[in-house]
Amino acid sequence: MKLRGLTAALAGVLAALLCSCSLVEEPDAAAWDQQAAQALEDAASEVATTRLALETAAQERVWSSYTTVVVADAEEAIVTVADNLARVQAPAGRTEQAADVGALMDRAVASVRAARSLAVQGRYDDPASIDELDRLATDLEDAAGAR
Amino acid sequence: MKRYFAVLLGVLTAIGGFVDIGDLVTNAQAGARFGWSLVWVVVLGVLGICVFAEMSGRIAAVSHRATFDLVRERLGPRMGLLNLFGSMSVTFLTFIAEIGGVALALQLLSSVSHVLVAMFVAAAVWIVLWRAKFSSIENVLGLMGLALIVFAVALWQLGPDWSELSSQLSPAEKPAAEGWAVYAFFGVALFGAAMTPYEVFFFSSGGVEERWTSKDIGVMRANVFLGFPLGGVLSVAIAGCAAVVFLPQGITVETLGQVGLPVAVALGKIGLAVVVLGFFAATFGAACETGLSVGYSLAQYSGFQWGKYVRPREAAGFHVVLLVATVLAAGVLLTGVDPIMVTEVSVVFSALALPLTYFPILVVANDPDYLGEHRNGRLANVLGVFYLVVITIASIAAIPLMVITSMGQG
Amino acid sequence: MDGYDAALHLLDRQVVDREGQLVAKVDDVELTLEPDGSLVATGLLVGLPALLPRFGDRLGSWLLDKYVQAGEERADRALPGVIEFELVDDIGSGVELSVLRKGLVRPRTAEVPAGVERWRLGDLLGMRVRCGDLPKRSRVLDVRLAGVPHRTERPLVTGLVVGPGRPGSLFGYDRKPDLGPLAVAVVVRRLHRHVRGVDVGPGVEIDRAANEVRISPGVPLLPLL
Repeated sequence: MKLRGLTAALAGVLAALLCSCSLVEEPDAAAWDQQAAQALEDAASEVATTRLALETAAQERVWSSYTTVVVADAEEAIVTVADNLARVQAPAGRTEQAADVGALMDRAVASVRAARSLAVQGRYDDPASIDELDRLATDLEDAAGAR
Repeated sequence: MKRYFAVLLGVLTAIGGFVDIGDLVTNAQAGARFGWSLVWVVVLGVLGICVFAEMSGRIAAVSHRATFDLVRERLGPRMGLLNLFGSMSVTFLTFIAEIGGVALALQLLSSVSHVLVAMFVAAAVWIVLWRAKFSSIENVLGLMGLALIVFAVALWQLGPDWSELSSQLSPAEKPAAEGWAVYAFFGVALFGAAMTPYEVFFFSSGGVEERWTSKDIGVMRANVFLGFPLGGVLSVAIAGCAAVVFLPQGITVETLGQVGLPVAVALGKIGLAVVVLGFFAATFGAACETGLSVGYSLAQYSGFQWGKYVRPREAAGFHVVLLVATVLAAGVLLTGVDPIMVTEVSVVFSALALPLTYFPILVVANDPDYLGEHRNGRLANVLGVFYLVVITIASIAAIPLMVITSMGQG
Repeated sequence: MDGYDAALHLLDRQVVDREGQLVAKVDDVELTLEPDGSLVATGLLVGLPALLPRFGDRLGSWLLDKYVQAGEERADRALPGVIEFELVDDIGSGVELSVLRKGLVRPRTAEVPAGVERWRLGDLLGMRVRCGDLPKRSRVLDVRLAGVPHRTERPLVTGLVVGPGRPGSLFGYDRKPDLGPLAVAVVVRRLHRHVRGVDVGPGVEIDRAANEVRISPGVPLLPLL
């Protein structure tokens, strides 16, 4: 009898896990806000990492393959973050915000990608790239704070 | 003179061997998100591992029985097997993480994908486990691991506002943006990283390998009570570096490259080279320790000959287990799983698995049949029972916190 | 201390040969019922056929079944290996033998000399105990053997530790009054406050067929400490 209860409980937990793993998430407005804020913060973190890696490399405090690995990891991470958020079905009242956040995310991904490309070429102090990363970091933090 | 040298060597290798991939990643993550407000957990964990390791080291010295021998003797075959399953899974998970960590460290040098490098690392680990002498594994990698002291130098060089940094030491200084559940989750993770079960399996089995007797208790205590806390200082320095460089910029740590970045900021290429050497030594040393621990725990449960103090063919079963574990670990890494993610999981499960091995050791450490006059005194028992409570709480809290915070994200 | 407890001091300990090489774990202990009715430990049983049945009545026999099936072509698959008790030199943190491990463990043949019965310690542990003065769910928790462990002395079963609980859950707190830490000792002794010792002899009947031990009224139940 005890065993049967345990099995049922386990089955319940497994079922709950399965439901939470559906291909497309459909959160309500509050949950979406939270997810978006989290994604924006994660993206800001990757942008700041890229920025720090380039700056350190420009001062010749780190060798090239180290910079490449750090920046490439940041790129991979930010792509994952952006993709995961893009796959979330925005609730009815949030389509506009979702578009804004999506655009900002795309901008961040593009900048980090461009920065990685520069880093691989050994061009660490491209001012346009650094400025864009700086602006992005602020924009992402602001957007995350607004959620 | 020779004796002092032995003590010094033991302490130095204990410092260098204390930090592994779990400590590196978890301390940097916690520092980047919570500053120094979780340092008290590191202190708690380091004292805990001292208490645990001292008891099991003493038992190994006097009775020549290592941790898992006692687990089965006191808990019986059923609970013992459950325990073996839990502890071996966690140790194996850590083994995967350490091999992956070595590969990540080499990737930072060569920018060759860690998935590929991990295969060669696994092969190298197995050759070392098969051929190398026990003492040379411990001494060479332990001494190289001392390179991580560069984190303390880097922290000093970063020139933080020390009064501000030390004012973060209270839990009340948790950054307002982070919730208490996440704080508690990282607390459990840091505790698990400091008190990883394999450290004790390895330490006590190592005592049997090196044929300690009750005369070696003094040296063993010096290693534990000087080496581990100084190793803990490295953990705190790693957290401090992350707190100074990453916390103000809102960077969260997810890669080994990020962990080393503050040292580059502070000390440049040479410092960074030393840190990568430290990464390599710490993770390679821990890979050997965890690999051996998988073999130790299985052999000590089943009773077949184990250890590097006999020739490999006299402990053939033990060496087969090491080979199988290494091949499996390489196979898991070949799937491209992120070693950092494996690390994060392994430290939480370490906290979960701890009470089952801790409790039998605490009981046997009191048993005059095993220890005679060397059994636990009052202080050891007060601390022992205190940690029994702490470890139980951490173990119960581990999984719920992991689920609530989705591994510390929310 | 007169004698020692088989489950606490013998079972699951490491067997070590004369030169310190590891041999096996004591997976079970063979007890022989002699024609005069006395029960004597005669061998250390090793190997999975000895270990698996100790995983509990149902799980244990299921595991043993599967183990035998996996090697069904072998006639000796279900037979454990045995190390004769005479070879035991000393019982401390491990069980030390007086010989070398090479060629030591032999399969225990199924044939039994006339007039004796072979039991296992694992069968005895956890057996139901019927006794008016003990709680209903009482079981055999440990088996007491005579003498200082040494080959010159016959390891005769002299007593049983009986009471509610599971074998092995006493952790030795029934044997040594000063075994610390105090907090753990208090909890374990509190949980086992009904546990008693009983001498094997008239009035104590071990019925292997019914899987129970019957203790007649009037047989003295001894407090453990």
